[in-house]
Formats: sequence, structure tokens, C-alpha cells
Amino acid sequence: MTNNYDIVIAGAGPAGLAAAVEAARRGARTLVVDENTKPGGQLFKQIHKFFGSHEHKAGVRGFAIGEKLLAEAAELGVEVWLNSVVWGLFANKVAVVRGGEQITLAAKKIILATGASENAVAFPGAALPGVMGAGAIQTMINVHRVLPGKRVVMLGSGNVGLIVAYQLLQAGAEVVALVEAASAIGGYGVHAAKIRRAGVPILVGTTIARAFGRGQVEGVVLAKLDESFQPVPGGETTLAIDTVGIAVGLTPLTELAWMAGCQFVFSPRLGGHVPLHDADMETTLSGVYVAGDITGVEEASTAMEEGRLAGIAAAAALGYGAAAAEADKAAVRSRMDVLRSGPFGLGRRTAKAEILAQRKEAASCRE
Amino acid sequence: MPGVKYSGRLSDAELAAVLPPAERLAQGPVAVIECVQSIPCNPCEKACPFGAITVGDDITALPALDRAKCKGCGLCISRCPGLAIFVVDASGDEATIMLPYEYLPLPAAGDVVDALDRSGKPAGTARVLKVNTAAGLEGTAVVTLAVPRKLADIVRNFRPRGRDAIYICRCNEVSEAEIRQAVREGARTVAAVKLATRAGMGLCQGRTCRRLVSRIIAEETGQHPAEVLPATARPPVRTLPLGTLAGGEDDE
Repeated sequence: MTNNYDIVIAGAGPAGLAAAVEAARRGARTLVVDENTKPGGQLFKQIHKFFGSHEHKAGVRGFAIGEKLLAEAAELGVEVWLNSVVWGLFANKVAVVRGGEQITLAAKKIILATGASENAVAFPGAALPGVMGAGAIQTMINVHRVLPGKRVVMLGSGNVGLIVAYQLLQAGAEVVALVEAASAIGGYGVHAAKIRRAGVPILVGTTIARAFGRGQVEGVVLAKLDESFQPVPGGETTLAIDTVGIAVGLTPLTELAWMAGCQFVFSPRLGGHVPLHDADMETTLSGVYVAGDITGVEEASTAMEEGRLAGIAAAAALGYGAAAAEADKAAVRSRMDVLRSGPFGLGRRTAKAEILAQRKEAASCRE
Repeated sequence: MPGVKYSGRLSDAELAAVLPPAERLAQGPVAVIECVQSIPCNPCEKACPFGAITVGDDITALPALDRAKCKGCGLCISRCPGLAIFVVDASGDEATIMLPYEYLPLPAAGDVVDALDRSGKPAGTARVLKVNTAAGLEGTAVVTLAVPRKLADIVRNFRPRGRDAIYICRCNEVSEAEIRQAVREGARTVAAVKLATRAGMGLCQGRTCRRLVSRIIAEETGQHPAEVLPATARPPVRTLPLGTLAGGEDDE
């Protein structure tokens, strides 16, 4: 019947689309299912230029990379179901609700590219309107072109916090401060320098003690922290603001992998519990692959490479493009290694290597 | 008229009979038995392992405390049905007061609370040093407060600071305090907390709160975050109208 696909991919973000393109290019009948109204995941919110080198599309803005991926997918005949929710995974059956209709898809191979969700923080007033995730801010300013507020304080100095603070400036908001609990800035110095030279104070060793306001956030109290993250007496400052951005990391969205019965490992560096996978991105369940942030929070560039790897491997396992598969995969892996090089990549590189090692161990235990 | 009979607060004269002299206070912890009416009651007598408290055969007699024998261990505190026994230590720069406490939520060590006097009026600031909830206390927690030394004879209660509620699960409006309470009452897993408080059962299906809930469980139970597993993932992983799933199924 028509609902029999070679490969069904959950998630049409950078990882899912890249996987689809590689699988379809090799001849696999591929379907991508995504709950959003538009494909591309977070790519279309990324109006900044990506890092990496030429083969990673360095210097190209995220949304342009997304447009190119979509065009490729369309050209290769990849089916993309939007507004469609994957709500369960049962052996090789993918349960989808599309347009209010329940559909069970039989798939020979499944690639989970569900991404990650933003972490929340809890402080008094954190549930006030105007306190929102950096992702929500990005959607508002970069997709819908609506300012969430005029005076913003951003919590978190990873690349997301720094980039979104910059994009808020670009969109015309005032970023009153960027605060970071750690004693140093987490993200790239170049991103930090951009907002610093636009006059945004970056306050390390500081956090938001509370937010206040009547019906809407009207201000925050910042607290200076000592080395053990305890508030320094007398170190409180009050800022009048109308928006708080929260950029304190992400957690892989792994429910489908748990439900399917994949083995997991806890990796703080990658954002929490992540499914074990091998060098082909296959989990401990035969035929179930993972790619992108579900395997550990990284960047869109690495997500796309992981997607390509999973797409090539899943297609090859079905006999599509099998002859060239090893060489193709090797090329992707070497590009991926480059993205994880240097001091900023060290933690992720080590954590990823650990996952592969543990996957091998898991495999040998079963034998 | 002053006095416990008229205002519930011991009069200065009543207090004079039960408060230890300054010399004894300076020597170290000692019980203060603020029991000034002849009621038929004597558990304190048996509670003391050092034989420092005597009521005698006539159980309406007021307890007599031999302060030389009293070590200030506090075992009598939770045994007094009248919650009238305190242990005061004014030997240091800061005084400590052990008092019985039967309100929920319990404070946690490290909390800063409003110290109250015998009339329930704020007397200053106290720091919670210890909260003893051992089973033998039969539900009466013994809370140790640190207070300025001059308040050693004044402070007999405290009120947790009116903390703004911190919401952990926004969908179902479950506060941090409720989640901590659930963990303290035995919910040791994300799934158990979910069942006890409904945290994670709302529209977002736990995407916002589950990591925070895990962290609270790890903190409360002393586990490593890696040991706190997410709640079992069950279909549907997204909120769907039930009718969609109850309707026709085109399985194969």
C-alpha cells in the first residue's frame, strides 16, 4: 500500500532533511514527517552566518542553507508531511496523525531527527508573560518579525544567548544586559564581542534572582554569585525591562527513542540522556537511526552531517548506493570531525567518542 | 492580666520560674520547660535519658528540671504533648534554639526565616540549622534555629519567609515547594512526582518541567542526575485530540 516507505524520518529540521536528501538521492523511497507548518526546524530562524569551512557552508546564513536543502529534497522527490505529528513508535511502525487522521506507517528504516527542547529555569516570576525562551524570541523576531519587547535581559552566554541578543539588537530592541552565572562567557568570543561593542553589558558571575511585574514582567533583580554559585550579600541590582530571554541550554527530545526501547547513556556535555548509536548513527535497535540534537545538543552544521550519515547508512542497508556507501560515509565523518575540532569542540568530540565506545560495548555484551 | 492563662503568653513572672539563669545558659545547651500549669502529664520525665526531669507520682506536678544533669540533647522536645519544651544554647556568639514544629511545609536547613516571639510577633531573623524529622519524633519536627544571642530567651517560633511561588510545571501550575514536598514524602522518581503532583501531565507533556523536576529529585535524594531517569515515554508523545486516536485506524 501507499504508506509503505523505505525510510521514514521524524523531524524536518536540518538533520532530517539532510538524511532525506541523501537517502532519496540513492533511490530510497523517503518520507519526512514534521509537526510544524514549515519545514527546516530551527534553520529558518538562523539569520546569522554559519561557521565551519566551505564544505560546511560556512559564511552562508542558516535560512539560506535551509532553502537549499528544501530545494534539493523537492528535486529528489522526498515527500514531506507537515502539520503531522509522530506520536508513537512501535517496532517498525510509525504512528502519525496527519490532518486529524491517524495513519500507521510501516517503515523499513526509521530515522529519528526530533531535535531538542529548550531548558527552563525556575526563579520567582519565571512564569510571568514576557519571560520566554531564546527560541521563542528568535521565532518572533526572525520569522514573524515581531519584537517581543523593547528592553530585554538575556540569561545565558552560550552561543544561543549571544546570537539571539545580537539579533534582538538587529531587530531594534535594547538589550539591557546579558547575564551568565558562570565566571566566563560560554559561547564564541566573536559573538560576545559583537554585542559588547554594541554596548550590551555582559555580566558574568551573575544570575536572575527574580522577575517581577503586574501581569507582565516589569523588571528583574540580578544577583552577583560567588565561585560556588551562591549569591553575594549586597550584590543585587534591579533592572527595569519588559522581556527576559532564557538561553540556558537544550535537552534532546528523546521520547520516541525511549518508547522504541533504545539503550541510553547519560552525557551531561550533550544535554542529558541520549540514545547510544554506532558510527552509522544506528541505535541499539536494528533499523532505528538517530541524527541531530536527539543524539546530543550541537549545532545545525553537525546535525546536517549526522543526518547525511544516517541517510547514507539507512539507504545502504536497504541496498541503495551500497557500493559507494563506505566512501560516502567516510567523507561525512571527516567533515564532522572538523566541526568538532578545537577547544570549543573538545567536550562534544570526547562525549561523542564515548557514545560510540559504549555502543560497541553494548554490542559485544549481547554477543 | 498578664500570663499564659489570659493571653497564652507566659508572663514575666511565669517565665522567671522556668528560664535558666544566665550562668547556666552560658555553659551550653539546656532545656527550657515552659510548662507552668498543673496538668496531668508526664512524658517528659521518661523522655530524659539522664534523669534530669522529675514529675513524680502526682502527674499533675510541674516538671522539675535538674539543670546540672541536663545535657541539652533535646530528646524531650518532641515528647512533650504541649510543645512546651525548648533547648537553648547561648554559650556561643550566636544562640541556637531547638523547637518543636508541626507545620508544613517544613523548612530546610539553610533557610532564612522570620523568628517569632511568644506572641507570634517578629523578633528578628533566624537561620535554620537543622530540621530533624526522625521517625521517633512521631511527626513533630525538631527545628534548630540560629538567632542573635540576645534573642535566646525571646524566640520561640518562626515563620518561613513568604516566598514567591516558583512554578516548575506551568501547564498544571505545580510549584517547586509542592514538588519538593512530594519527593520528601517518598516520590523518588520523575514518574512518581508526576503521579503525585501532575507535573508533566499538561499540554507540553513535560517538555518544560521534566528536567527541572529531575534536578529537584537529584538534589533532594542526593542522587547523581544520571541516575534520575525520565518518566516512561508513552504514546502519544504529543497532545492529540482523543477522538483522533479513537477513530478509524487504517492499520495496513
